[in-house]
Amino acid sequence: MTITLPGTGSTEVRPVGRAADGAGGRARKGRGGKSGKAGPVTYTLLTLTALVSIFPLYWTVVAGSHTNAELAASPPPFVPSASLFDNFAAALEQAPIGKAILNSVLVSGAITVGTVLFCTLAGFAFAKLRFRGRGLLLALVVGTMMVPTQLSVIPLFMMIADLQWVNQLQAVVLPTLVSAFGVFFMRQYLISALPDELIEAGRVDGASTFRIFWSIVVPAARPAMAVLAMLTFLTAWNEFFWPLIALTTANPTVQVALAGLGSGYVPQQSVIMAGTLLGTLPVLVVFTILGKQIVGGIMQGAVKG
Amino acid sequence: MATVTFEQATRFYPRTERPAVDALDLRIEDGELLVVVGPSGCGKSTSLRMLAGLEEVDDGAIHIGDRDVTDSPPKDRDIAMVFQSYALYPHMTVEQNMGFALRLAGVGKAEIAQRVAEAAKILDLEDYLQRRPKALSGGQRQRVAMGRAIVRQPQVFLMDEPLSNLDAKLRVQTRTQIAALVRRLGTTTVYVTHDQVEAMTMGDRVAVLKDGLLLQCDTPAAIYERPANVFVAGFIGSPAMNIVSGEVADGGVRVGTSVLPVDRDRLARASAGTGRVTVGFRPECLELGGPGDGLPVVVDVVEQLGSDAYLYTTPAGVRAGVGGSGVVVRTDPRHVPVPGQTLWLRIREDALHVFDPVTQARVD
Amino acid sequence: MTIASQSPAEALVAAPRPPAPPASRPPARRRRRKLSQNRWGYAYVAPFFLVFAAFSLYPFAYTAWVSLHRTSLSDIDGGTWVGLENYRNLLQSEFFWNAARNTLTIGVLATVPQLCMALGLAHLLNYKLRGRTFFRTVMLMPYATSIAAATLVFAQLFGRDYGLINTALEAVGLERIDWESGTWSSQFAIAVIVTWRWTGYNALIYLAAMQSIPGELYEAAEIDGASRWKQFLHVTVPSLRPTILFTIVVSTIGAVQLFGEPLLFAGNGTTTGGSSGQYQTLGLLMYQQGWSNFHIGQAATTAWAMFMIILLVVGLNAVIGRLRARADR
Repeated sequence: MTITLPGTGSTEVRPVGRAADGAGGRARKGRGGKSGKAGPVTYTLLTLTALVSIFPLYWTVVAGSHTNAELAASPPPFVPSASLFDNFAAALEQAPIGKAILNSVLVSGAITVGTVLFCTLAGFAFAKLRFRGRGLLLALVVGTMMVPTQLSVIPLFMMIADLQWVNQLQAVVLPTLVSAFGVFFMRQYLISALPDELIEAGRVDGASTFRIFWSIVVPAARPAMAVLAMLTFLTAWNEFFWPLIALTTANPTVQVALAGLGSGYVPQQSVIMAGTLLGTLPVLVVFTILGKQIVGGIMQGAVKG
Repeated sequence: MATVTFEQATRFYPRTERPAVDALDLRIEDGELLVVVGPSGCGKSTSLRMLAGLEEVDDGAIHIGDRDVTDSPPKDRDIAMVFQSYALYPHMTVEQNMGFALRLAGVGKAEIAQRVAEAAKILDLEDYLQRRPKALSGGQRQRVAMGRAIVRQPQVFLMDEPLSNLDAKLRVQTRTQIAALVRRLGTTTVYVTHDQVEAMTMGDRVAVLKDGLLLQCDTPAAIYERPANVFVAGFIGSPAMNIVSGEVADGGVRVGTSVLPVDRDRLARASAGTGRVTVGFRPECLELGGPGDGLPVVVDVVEQLGSDAYLYTTPAGVRAGVGGSGVVVRTDPRHVPVPGQTLWLRIREDALHVFDPVTQARVD
Repeated sequence: MTIASQSPAEALVAAPRPPAPPASRPPARRRRRKLSQNRWGYAYVAPFFLVFAAFSLYPFAYTAWVSLHRTSLSDIDGGTWVGLENYRNLLQSEFFWNAARNTLTIGVLATVPQLCMALGLAHLLNYKLRGRTFFRTVMLMPYATSIAAATLVFAQLFGRDYGLINTALEAVGLERIDWESGTWSSQFAIAVIVTWRWTGYNALIYLAAMQSIPGELYEAAEIDGASRWKQFLHVTVPSLRPTILFTIVVSTIGAVQLFGEPLLFAGNGTTTGGSSGQYQTLGLLMYQQGWSNFHIGQAATTAWAMFMIILLVVGLNAVIGRLRARADR
């Protein structure tokens, strides 16, 4: 909910033309062939940027395996050491990171399932069903993308306090179960990827609206649903503000646990870094496997939105 | 099997003043293949979609057999539709595509398989049943779309320009096959096209629509021989009928410097009050006369087709190229004049169509 | 114009009807909407709107209500009505103005260089590249890293005693900087974290937009003799203007809400934003008011103030966008 908004669609401001099937297809149609080959300067700059992008993550590994004193040495160490694993152990002792990872998997998983399901349903209705007030409701969806999280956390906190949900995972899951971006993303996708005639064919074949949704829309929407699922999971995993309020370190998500890591009286950098690494590792692993798809999804979302 | 009746069926699109389909009255007999034809935007697809239940009927009614289906959803109409884009479900195999409607209707697995197999056999799709639409050629996809319609054994087939995505050669083949197939099945069929050749070759009857209005509905021969008004006369037939509009003079109509004779009775009725008349004659109804015998024209272009030749000419005294004033002549391809030559044309007596220039209607 | 018969004589139709038809049409059209109007639409958007209403719309309005009360976190249901007092207090509070100032400076520091670099990066990524996917993926890694993790790592890098950056400064003969305690240094450091996380993401957004620019435009520019740099300036940037405007809006919304980075920058989750509030943002202030000082009403007021600022920024952008569009015409 917090600064995740940039992922959020781009509604009326987006100029870009017809949506293509993916970033790759677009590249060929667009400038692709014309942009010329990259020279050594380009490669140097890009490699530098790549290093800057990766280095802090690598440094987490280095810093997580050395003591404060070792890190202060000149020159500082640049390779990890075996004490990383001791520090993992220490971090696990100091903060319930194992539990946090499990909680984050549960929370992010539930949010992802809910978001993809609800956003596909709503995106389909906004894209293909005609009903009174559709435009107004859609404007409402788009408008909510501007509202800061801060504006709703107070009543939300009162609500979960009343429901005795403080420190319960559902307190984090429920408010995040839908996403305006997701609705908009699915709508844009279905408008361009699902011809009206396919739905009409379904109606003539005797399918109910739900049957059309299930047998025709969902199969067509699958690529977009996968993209939305990846982005939602990532966002949910990294969600910070609301979980910090709704949960405590007794039953944290990864982010809440990380926030609690540094609160010891004499913060030990290596333990903090080891803990950070533990909490970030699952996402990095997923990202390494699905990075290409996530990149494609973001670019696709940018053009479609 | 059933008849289809449109009774004053009207469709307004939101925020438009003119109806897309204006008080359409049309009856399609049981087992008949009716082709609805017209230029784009004439309301032909809209009227088909009204019959399918995909479009509202704002006024009037539609019956299939004895049932009033005006407000029924598509699934309660017992119809099957072939879409212009075929609208095959991309994630289903050919077999699943064809069986989908039956599955929804709760037909048993064995029967579905049998009916799909029958349809596949008729359409020569047996080898492709397990393929997805993406892996099929355009012609095969078109046949799957047909198959999806026929396995349902509906009361009415609706076809919305089902051939317009095929290349020219395949289109000619397929149109014969479709016509033969629906006649064999004996199912009432409404077929929409913008192609008047398709309409003439396929239809038991042809309905010509323009601007949401039904202009004429009759057998292809009758429409060709006796077009009800100027538009139908010009729309049906290729090359189009020559249409000439001019002042009445000396028992005929003035064309350029000469006069084309028209029989007195029709001339009087058509020109009553205005002193003008519109006449039409088809390119094949012209004969070459000797010098001074008939309407003098100057040849502009000669089109050799092998079986025929068409002469594009301008009547003497008319400025060449002035919109619609030319006369097209079909002639023997073995003896063609050269451009610039002057010819004299005689119209076969019975082949002259006379129209009221104000109402545009035919005068007999 | 009934054409039921098949006999040609009867099947003939009269001329097209005159424009004003006789009284054949009933004055009021029947309006049937059963077929194209699908009431099920509501059912499909219902789950979204139910959740949305319960957890966004209702809280949104309720926050306004709370902001008009003196309410404490320990007694959240029983506030006393104070009208606009919270707003008056807020506007007179030096903490608010300090936080607003910090939010603005950090926002500018984090947004402007970030978007410029993203644009340049997108331009580089748009060349024919070996390892295209690799570069794109690596540049998105920071986006996948959470705020908490990124901040903790950067807090370490910017650390006074053990931080790598200070070690490096020392190595080249400069003095160590106490990044956290200085106003500009801390705000700069926080801006670096934001920039690190978002540059790659925005570069991909720009790249996507760049790839939808028709190649002919570049060909035309090249024929006109424009250098690559001129092409970038006169073809790419103008075509991207709506996208740039969009990213500005989105980044600004993010910047106004900046919270996690300043909260964790000192490493221990203090809500004061440094010993003298040198990097306390509005988001942090709101959290402090509500969850450290338990003044929920005051916190709600701050939240509304943030929303107003966002509305102002978005509105301003819309106006600028419209003016520019008009100027182009």
